[in-house]
Amino acid sequence: MDHALRARGLVKRYPRAPPGTYALSEVDLEIPPGVTFGLIGRNGAGKTTFVRIAATQLEPTGGQLEVLGFDVREQPREIRTRIACIPQESRPLYFLRTEEVVYLYLKMRGVDPTDARRRTRDVLSELELEPYRRQLVSNLSGGLRRRALVAMVFASDAELLFLDEPTTGLDPLARRQVWEAIRHAIREHRTIVLTTHYLDEAEALSARLALIDKGRVMLSGTAEELRARMPYPYRVTIAGPIDPEALRPYGRVTPVEGGHLVFARETDARELARWSLEHGYRLSLGPVSLEDIFLEIVGRPLIGIEDEEAPEEPVEAPRR
Amino acid sequence: MSERHRLRSILALVQLNGLIPIRSQPLYLLSILSSPLSFLFFIYIASHGTYFAFGVTGGMVLTMLSIGTGLQGDLTHYRNDLKFQDVVVASPVEAPSYIFGMALSELVYSAPGLAVFVVLWAIGGWATLPGAGVLVGTLLLVWGFATALSFTLATYFSDVRETWMYSPLISLGLSVIPPVYYPISALPGWAQSLAYLSPTTYAGQLVQAASGLVPLSATHSAVDWLVLLGFTVALFLVAATRAHWRDP
Repeated sequence: MDHALRARGLVKRYPRAPPGTYALSEVDLEIPPGVTFGLIGRNGAGKTTFVRIAATQLEPTGGQLEVLGFDVREQPREIRTRIACIPQESRPLYFLRTEEVVYLYLKMRGVDPTDARRRTRDVLSELELEPYRRQLVSNLSGGLRRRALVAMVFASDAELLFLDEPTTGLDPLARRQVWEAIRHAIREHRTIVLTTHYLDEAEALSARLALIDKGRVMLSGTAEELRARMPYPYRVTIAGPIDPEALRPYGRVTPVEGGHLVFARETDARELARWSLEHGYRLSLGPVSLEDIFLEIVGRPLIGIEDEEAPEEPVEAPRR
Repeated sequence: MSERHRLRSILALVQLNGLIPIRSQPLYLLSILSSPLSFLFFIYIASHGTYFAFGVTGGMVLTMLSIGTGLQGDLTHYRNDLKFQDVVVASPVEAPSYIFGMALSELVYSAPGLAVFVVLWAIGGWATLPGAGVLVGTLLLVWGFATALSFTLATYFSDVRETWMYSPLISLGLSVIPPVYYPISALPGWAQSLAYLSPTTYAGQLVQAASGLVPLSATHSAVDWLVLLGFTVALFLVAATRAHWRDP
C-alpha cells in the first residue's frame, strides 16, 4: 500500500453552518504508511474535522478519502477494524482503574481476555504507568490520564492511530511524558496521525507535517522540505538600536523586542553575521523555525488569543 | 467482527458501565430505586393500600423505563463530555453491540431494584407461572423500546443538560399519564384516549392482567402485545435510521 491515507478534494460543511462556511475546503493530502504525520494549524483550522472524517466518526460532504486503501464513505467497517483514536478533549471514564482503561478497551475490541491482560501489563510497564495500575483515573493528574489513553490505543493492534491534540492543556512536564509515550509507539513503525498546535511537538514527533489553515492544506512535507520552500531559510536576530534600513539589504526585516529579526538567504545571513560582529552587535543565527514558516504562509502566529473560542468552521468556500 | 468478538465487546461494556460503577458507587443502586419506591409509597398512602399491587407492577415497569432514562444520560455524557462514543466508533465495535452492551449494563445496574419489586410481587401472592412469562416478556419489550428511544435521543443531544430537560417529559408521557400505577378505568375518558398513545399503557395492562389485577380478554391481550411489539420495532427502526453513530 502506497498510502495510509489519501484525500482528494475532501470537503466538509457542517449541516448547521451558515451558507458558504466550510470546515474543509478541497483538501488534497497523502500520508505514507509507517510514519508519524503531524497536522498543524490554529484552533478551528480543520485538523479535528479531517481526523474525525478519517476515523469514520464524521461524514464528509464531498471529495474522496481513502484510509488504508478503504473508502471512508463506503467501507467504514473495514477501516474501523484497523484504526484506533484518541479524540480531542477525550477523557477516560473516571471510575475506572488505569489498568481497566486499557484492558476493557482491548476486550471491547474483541481481544481474548488472556491476551488483553498480557498486553495491558506490557503497555503499562512500557509507558511507566505500572505504579498507577490500580489507581482510579479520577485520582490521576491530567498528564497521567492522557498517558492512560495513549496506552489504551497503543495496546491495540491497530495499524493506524489518530491522536487529536493529545497534549493540549497539559503542563510542559506532562507534555514531555506524553511525548515519550508517543515516541514509544513510533518505534513500532505504526502510522500515527497527530494533530497539534504546538510546533515543537509536531517537529519533535513527526517525520512529515502538513500545515492546515482555514480548511486548506497550505504546505506539506518533512520539516526540512518545509524550510527549503521558504524564500529565506535563515533567521538572524540582532540585538541593539540599529537602523532597520541598514539591515534591509540582507533580507526581510521584522522588529522584535530589543532588536530586529532578519530572514535571509545563506550568503546574506553570513554577511550579516560578519557585519554585526564588526559593529559589536549581539546576534543569534539559525535555520527558520516552523513558527516562522507558519507566520510566512498564514500571515499570523499559530497561537493567538482569539484561538480560545474559535469554532472549527472557518468561512471559506471550496475553490471548485 | 465474529460473534465471539461481539459477545466480548458486549461483556466489556457491561463490565465497564454496569459492574464497575456498582463497585465504585454502590449508592446509585438506591438512587435508581428511589422513583419507583416513592410512587409505590404515595399510591399505598393515597389508596389506603387498595392500589398497592398496582404500585408493585407499576414499579417494575418504571424500573425498566428508568433504565432508558439512565442510559440516555450516560450515553450523552460519554458522547459529549468524555468523547467515549468517538473512541468506540473508531474501533471494530458496531453500533448494535454498543447499544446492547450499554443497555445490558444498565439492566445489571437496575437488577437489584427490580429484584425488590419481584420479591414484593411474589410475597403479595400475585405471581403465577404464566403471569411470570407475561411479566418477563413485557418488561423486555419495555427495556427494548426505552433503549432504542434513549439511544436515538442521546445522539442528538449536544450537552448532558438536555437530558435533564427531556427526562421528566419522557417520564410524564410514559409513566405518569399512562395507567402504569393504576387501572386504565381510573382515568377520565379524555385521558384514556391520550394514554393509548403511550406504549407503557399496553405494558401496564399486560402486567396488571398477568397479576390478576384487571380482567383482559384474549383479543385485548393480543392487541396489547402487538401494539407493544410494534412500538418497540418502530423505535428500533428509528434508532437504526435516525440515530447518529457517525456524525453528519
